[in-house]
Amino acid sequence: MVNLTIDDKKVTVPKDATIYDAAKSAGIRIPILCHDKKLHPFGGCRMCLVEVEQMKGRLIPACTTPVTEGMIVKTTTPEIINARKLVLELLLLKHPVDCPVCDAAGDCDLQNLTYEYKVNTNQFTDEKFNHKIDYENPLIERDMNRCIHCGKCARICDEIVSFGAYTFINRGIEAKMGTEFDGPLNCEFCGSCVSVCPVGALVSRPFKFKARWWSLNKVKSVCSYCGTGCQLTLGVKGNKVLTTVYDENQGFHNGQLCTRGRFGYQFVNSDKRLSTPLVRKNGRLEPATWDEALAAVAEGLKSAGSDAVAGLVSPRLTNEELYLARKLFKDVLGSNNLDHSAGYAHSALSHGAMESLGFAASPSTVTDIQKSDLLLVVKTDAYETHPVLGFEINLGVKRKGVDLRVISDKKGKLSRLPKAKTYVYKPGNEILLVNALAKVIVDNNLTDPSAMGVAGLEEYNKSLEGYSPAQAAEVCGIAAEEIIGLATDYAKADKALILLPLGLGYPGHDKALAQALINLALVAGKIGKEGSGVLIMGEKNNSQGAVDMGVYPAGNGKGATDIIASCAAGATKALYVVGENPVVSYPNRKKVADALDKVGFLVVQDLFLTETAEKAHVVLPACSFAEKDGTFTSVGRMVQRVRKAIKPIGASRSDFDILNELSSRLGGASFADSSQVFVEIAREVAGYNGLTYDKLGDEGALVPVAVKGRFVPVAASPVKAEAGKYALVTGSALYHCGTMSRFGQGPMHVCPEGYAEFSREDAAVLKIQDNDLVKLTSAGAEINLKAKVNMRMPKGVVFAPYHFGEESINNITDGSPVTWVAVSK
Amino acid sequence: MIMPLLKGLGITLSHLFKKPVTLQYPDEMPEVAPRFRGLHALNISHDKAKCVACYLCPTVCPAKCIKVEAGEDENHNKYAAEYEIDMLRCIFCGYCVEACPVDAVRMTQTFELANYKRADFVFTKDRLLEKK
Ligand code: SF4
Ligand code: SF4
Ligand code: SF4
Ligand code: SF4
Ligand code: SF4
Ligand code: FES
Repeated sequence: MVNLTIDDKKVTVPKDATIYDAAKSAGIRIPILCHDKKLHPFGGCRMCLVEVEQMKGRLIPACTTPVTEGMIVKTTTPEIINARKLVLELLLLKHPVDCPVCDAAGDCDLQNLTYEYKVNTNQFTDEKFNHKIDYENPLIERDMNRCIHCGKCARICDEIVSFGAYTFINRGIEAKMGTEFDGPLNCEFCGSCVSVCPVGALVSRPFKFKARWWSLNKVKSVCSYCGTGCQLTLGVKGNKVLTTVYDENQGFHNGQLCTRGRFGYQFVNSDKRLSTPLVRKNGRLEPATWDEALAAVAEGLKSAGSDAVAGLVSPRLTNEELYLARKLFKDVLGSNNLDHSAGYAHSALSHGAMESLGFAASPSTVTDIQKSDLLLVVKTDAYETHPVLGFEINLGVKRKGVDLRVISDKKGKLSRLPKAKTYVYKPGNEILLVNALAKVIVDNNLTDPSAMGVAGLEEYNKSLEGYSPAQAAEVCGIAAEEIIGLATDYAKADKALILLPLGLGYPGHDKALAQALINLALVAGKIGKEGSGVLIMGEKNNSQGAVDMGVYPAGNGKGATDIIASCAAGATKALYVVGENPVVSYPNRKKVADALDKVGFLVVQDLFLTETAEKAHVVLPACSFAEKDGTFTSVGRMVQRVRKAIKPIGASRSDFDILNELSSRLGGASFADSSQVFVEIAREVAGYNGLTYDKLGDEGALVPVAVKGRFVPVAASPVKAEAGKYALVTGSALYHCGTMSRFGQGPMHVCPEGYAEFSREDAAVLKIQDNDLVKLTSAGAEINLKAKVNMRMPKGVVFAPYHFGEESINNITDGSPVTWVAVSK
Repeated sequence: MIMPLLKGLGITLSHLFKKPVTLQYPDEMPEVAPRFRGLHALNISHDKAKCVACYLCPTVCPAKCIKVEAGEDENHNKYAAEYEIDMLRCIFCGYCVEACPVDAVRMTQTFELANYKRADFVFTKDRLLEKK
């Protein structure tokens, strides 16, 4: 610790603090323009100049100067104020000062400081900049005339996003923040640069001119796309969510968001939203009253009988709603036929972790990522499925020197991080590879002493016969030495964390894979330590919550696959689908669609008339996350508050209201509001005990777990390659999450349709180029997708994202990790 | 006793020959002071409303009676796609005029604002542009 005096106040701070940090901790504000707490000090703007007794004669920047013992700092002398005024005058010299039409006005550091320092004249004169403004980009408008050269955009894009879209070009007065060859911006569109730009040089185009910053009602909530659980602030005006407002103090991620969170909010006020219940009459869906629709649903569900009624509920709902759904099925309808995410996309948690660890959640949390020494990521897709966790990986690798190892069936963004090592195996061989890694650990006496006491070790060791590195190498295509090297490094790392992303696009990331990974972590003694363990990353915003609330079949209940099958067989007579879109997102579209056509009574509750809702007998219009109160539980078990920002759109009702009303119509319990349900959750659900909305506050609360690990041997199932065919693997696109992001303009601007990615070698053989239409055929079905040719795909492997309704990939997939497809032009 | 009475009558009589102070409105119109704050008008320059939809007037307006919706024109510039003042609520304080950074709104000498329907008190952009 270092002691110093700032403006006559005694301050004690850690020795790596800067004067700026020290002042901040003492409640003294030093103005800044180019400094950001998330970024390395830059010292470019000279706004933070202060005077230090021991360095008299010149003013020094507070943001880059480390504190030293006994320092005496003055932050506001007349000389300092004049120097700051000069800085502002020089900035304003070239700046267009078009505040009346600039969207940053009100939230602009330059404007605020100019006002604060009363800079209303300028001793210099010069011409203004005359840079061309980029109006073309659908998401980010760049007006470099307003730029004050703070470099924050370039630094955040490099340091945190690890994309590197910007750099200064030219020198001196000509200097400008430029893109590659000064061309159009073509990046990840995470909007991080927009959020940190202190002026209006970078603004959000979807929000352009929509409202003034000060007129927005700012509501803190949680992103409703992926499981990362990023906190965000909705900018609301006139019952419309107009934008997301950046708040650097929110969440573990300091306000960072990805494209979906930052630019994908438009689904909330989309004009495609359902605004009234629909009931099928004479074969057509006709508008109906709530009373009529709910009466029909209550009657339909009840008359089917408890064995013949089933539900598929989306993990996008709040915990309270999921709890109600579970209660409705179990207690009121007497049915255990309830599931979500096609069954496989939650089985890693609900069954894998449950059996192996004694609870259905990850033993690790999000903050473990940066604290680890070695990260073992399963598939580069972890970046695409959970982009802000990807930022955590970037930061870990670049700032903390975390050793990044990725086992994947293709390369990806993570492979390009400094010193990252990607082990590319032949698709479908995850478990084989993980078992081989464990085998190396066991055979080389690297088994951690802590594993000795864990149940099932002996049996596990025996089960690893046949997974020697040499045997695995032959099948999965990674050299034996590499496998041995990876296993040794993993075992020897002090702290090592495994990351496993889940999702509807990843049928192979199921119970078995999760257990193989947990076994590996157990045998290496990596569970139960900070910065170690396994982080199982549920796909959707409340995937963890859906598992916690028990929205999966218990006892003799049917899971998603069985529900679909029994619909087809006529055994399930009434199906209640809440927020899921199985027709597009579950494997085997034809099978699902036919099954849904056969159901006697299909109710779909959704925001939009989805492909599934079109088949329904009754469609109930539900509310988005912005229209309700409740909680989500994110990856790493963080329970966070979702707050109502706007009134329900049209006649839509929240899932809470609908489920509650149905329950009371059917003679079950009813609750006054979501907080009452949460009281019951806090009483009934393990880990949530004692939680209240007040306790969650803005930060959220971590659900505690107690690890009771045991080894559950898992056998790898062989992948049967088909000669002359390509291995199709599915997954998530960076800009999308599930099928809901299709209704957000931001994601659709950047990624409007499905595609298939090919390696250069395959493209050469097939004579295809970027954007050519290719036909993928499997099991008699075919789809036509635009091709993308790149270097990340290995030969013989094709990747396609799932999200899209047209030419959807589930036309040709059947829920197996790899689909063998014939490709033609 | 009689004198004060005559004096009073004299004063009354003298008023018969003076110019009356009562203005015979509406047959006669008052002369409005140059700085009178009457109905608003939007200023025009280059055949377009000068207003750039900065939202400062709705922000400052104590009666919250100004509605502005910004739009983006073909040159990507900001303009007021909608501009409305609800005269039923306006308190004629003139803050809006003072706040405007581009001298786009002024107050005219028009004070005859009576009307038959509530809706007619809402002055849309078109109506405000017509005012001289
Ligand atoms: S949007 Fe994100 S990726 Fe694109 S330039 Fe900005 S920070 Fe970089
Ligand atoms: S564009 Fe914004 S963030 Fe980037 S250098 Fe200019 S002012 Fe700074
Ligand atoms: S989609 Fe996921 S990573 Fe992106 S902002 Fe939302 S929660 Fe964060
Ligand atoms: S004169 Fe005053 S009350 Fe009337 S519109 Fe202007 S600011 Fe509002
Ligand atoms: S203050 Fe002037 S420019 Fe701004 S909205 Fe009002 S009239 Fe238009
Ligand atoms: S904030 Fe310190 S130099 Fe810019």
